[in-house]
Amino acid sequence: MPDVLETSLTAVPANGVGGSLADGPSAPPAAAESPAFRHSRLRRLTDRWAHLAFLTCSLLVVGLIGGILFFLASRGLAAFWPAAGNTGRALSLSEVFLSADWSPSSDRFGILPFIAGSLGVTGLALLIAAPTGTLTAVFIAKMAPPWMRNLMRQVMDLLVGIPSVVYGIFGLTVVLPLVSHTWLADAPASGFAVSAVILAVMIVPTIVSLSTDAFESLPSSLDEGAQALGSSRWQAIWHVLIPAARPRLLTAAVLGLGRAIGEAMAVQMVIGNNPQWIALMRESTDRAPFLRALFTPAATLTTELVQELPNTAAGSTWNNVLFAMGLLLYLLTMVLILATRRLGRGKEA
Amino acid sequence: MLIPTVPETKPIKLSVRNMAFSYGQKKVLDGLSMDIHAERVTAIIGPSGCGKSTFLKCFNRIHEVSSAVNVSGDMKIDGVDIYRGGIDEVDLRRRVGMVFQKPNPFPKSIYENVAFGPRLFGVSDRTTLDGLVEDALRKAALWDEVKDRLKESATGMSGGQQQRLCIARALAVNPEVLLMDEPCSALDPIATAKIEDLITELKESLTIVIVTHNMQQAARVSDYTAFFWLGKLVEMDLTERIFTTPRVQMTEDYITGRFG
Repeated sequence: MPDVLETSLTAVPANGVGGSLADGPSAPPAAAESPAFRHSRLRRLTDRWAHLAFLTCSLLVVGLIGGILFFLASRGLAAFWPAAGNTGRALSLSEVFLSADWSPSSDRFGILPFIAGSLGVTGLALLIAAPTGTLTAVFIAKMAPPWMRNLMRQVMDLLVGIPSVVYGIFGLTVVLPLVSHTWLADAPASGFAVSAVILAVMIVPTIVSLSTDAFESLPSSLDEGAQALGSSRWQAIWHVLIPAARPRLLTAAVLGLGRAIGEAMAVQMVIGNNPQWIALMRESTDRAPFLRALFTPAATLTTELVQELPNTAAGSTWNNVLFAMGLLLYLLTMVLILATRRLGRGKEA
Repeated sequence: MLIPTVPETKPIKLSVRNMAFSYGQKKVLDGLSMDIHAERVTAIIGPSGCGKSTFLKCFNRIHEVSSAVNVSGDMKIDGVDIYRGGIDEVDLRRRVGMVFQKPNPFPKSIYENVAFGPRLFGVSDRTTLDGLVEDALRKAALWDEVKDRLKESATGMSGGQQQRLCIARALAVNPEVLLMDEPCSALDPIATAKIEDLITELKESLTIVIVTHNMQQAARVSDYTAFFWLGKLVEMDLTERIFTTPRVQMTEDYITGRFG
């Protein structure tokens, strides 16, 4: 070790005499050819190119997202205000958004069933997933022994990454047969309940993952403080930890909701794809209407888009309305994202 | 280990005999014995890592919240063993309140922070609660500063106010003992002075055990001082004696700043 130190010490003045680093702007011209100078010029050039590359990439992404919005808006709004060259009929807002009658072949385009379907399915899914996810997160963050905490966290992270179609297959082949031909559904079942369960299973890992972070980020002094006052463990969790983590728990739920509302594949496989479900339910004379309604084949904005978009001609009224539905989904998701931003900010205040 | 031999008129509230404490395999405290008298302030001083905070947390068993621990020997409150005397830990924590190093108000209103303890023990009548909250805030010398904004969030208060709120919160369940774990370490001198005045007032009706790294503070507020070093009690005596004529050389070295 002393040897190395000595040689490096002697090397410094030798280099200095060579005149590369220590000399300022007044260095003799010979220094311009020194490797250090060339290196710094090269580095500045690389910097400039890298800067350009980063800028181009980010502009591309922003442009793409803006372009998609513009495309969706121009095609979707054509349902109400058709542009030149569009063969579609100009629909009124009320006959699209306030009507439950969807029969494109008879020129009726009420999308209420899909809006109600989307909200119903995701709402129900959240109703199942949010409490389950939050309580699981409490368990992982505050109760589980360390080995189990690590295991559960890793499992949750894995589950977040499973493709939605896998959940759809699970629903189609495992859950549906379980409830088909029972008191709940005399025909092969489908509809809200099964879709909501599948969606819930799909978003629980997201909610658990984010909520666990929320609980783990709370200072342990809160937990100790509550228990030092004589709270039981459960009282400390219920009265102090959950309220303290509430903004982030809500963010987790809304993000889960966002994933659920945009999901098409898994839902389409189990929901039954019946645009007339509202009419079907009105006609039904069932004794347990609510329960049966949960198993009525239905449809959502996403499933209907997947189902019908490939079969329509561009520029037709039908096609325009489908784009309007896409635009609506986009806006709904946007509102949810803005809501999470707002909730996230509430946490810091 | 030396125990004071002066006559004391106040009864013994907490007694510790040959107590040892370990986290897993790691022994943190060993061979501790002391008596803590009611309505007196007992200060525990010592360098960082000497186990003084750990010792304090043994009195309300709050360390059991976060980790598996092992306490041996005797620790008694009013003659009943804290660990083996069949005392329910929730009941124990109501009798033995605690104030932490960093103020830890709950993210609720000032009122709800103070009402938290009473609510836990089943007080739900509004006027009773109002009375308890006002009483606790007065005892903590905070009432005049917050009486017009009881509904505001406690996290918006200054550090000193937050700490007095935490004291009020602990007092609201009417504890017999108050444990204070370096309660002023995060506060400025003015806020510290207020807490110290408060300690002197509160000892009229409470047994106070305070851990501090500030020797002047120990000298100002306490009746007894115990000096810990490496998990052992080096010396305990009347505070004035510890700071004027300690019997152990190491105590003298520590309080005169020769180590620690």
